[in-house]
Amino acid sequence: MQNRPSGFGNPWLQLGLSVACVFVSELLLKRGATDVAEPDSALSWTGVNGLASPLVWWAILLIIASFVSWLYVLRYIPLSLSYPLSRVVDILVPMGCWIFLGELISAVRWCGIALVVIGLALVAKPIAKMEERL
Amino acid sequence: MSLLAFFFIVVSLLTFVAAQLILKRAMEFSATNGMRNSHFMLLVAVGVALMTISFFLTLGLLQRFDLSYLYPFQGLSVIFITMLAAVLLKEKLSVRLTIGALLITAGIVLVSMS
Repeated sequence: MQNRPSGFGNPWLQLGLSVACVFVSELLLKRGATDVAEPDSALSWTGVNGLASPLVWWAILLIIASFVSWLYVLRYIPLSLSYPLSRVVDILVPMGCWIFLGELISAVRWCGIALVVIGLALVAKPIAKMEERL
Repeated sequence: MSLLAFFFIVVSLLTFVAAQLILKRAMEFSATNGMRNSHFMLLVAVGVALMTISFFLTLGLLQRFDLSYLYPFQGLSVIFITMLAAVLLKEKLSVRLTIGALLITAGIVLVSMS
């Protein structure tokens, strides 16, 4: 992780941007796929009919943006660190539903979110120490 | 869940995991050899093709199942990718990182089960 660029080129910032794009795109994809769902059609297993939804196209744009950031992240951060960290999106999605859509989160779901947070903290702590030394 | 749905979920997961490993290798290769060579282009093309397959299969699955139902399978990718990065890409894997990845996986499964 030597010679890392700073500012907008900071790989940790790019990781955050990549996660934000994935977060929004997942919600758009679900809405878009539901809007044009054809469960009876065999072709719809391929997902191609999802392209009829404009929301899916917005999601694709965000996925491309997240992909570019992600490739940049891969250049500087080991996959075994960056990938677990990127899964913070798995708690952002239910949290987003709770905050923005007023959905209820059950006790079991809160426990799951807590486990992800502890796991992320375990993965991220050695990185914080590494940054201090640099 | 039908056998067909299970098949598509597994293929979607495997293509996604393989794409991540190939893209990581491509970016490592580019760090020493630059991006203007056929080997790098080939790796990125294969990675993008695998991610595209995974994307369309997921889009097909989302038309049939809730996003939260498909979550545990996405969660499994954390542990698969972390382990395979250690084995295939020779990345250092500490006990702490392994436990962290396991907790994240367990958390995602719990979130989707509730």
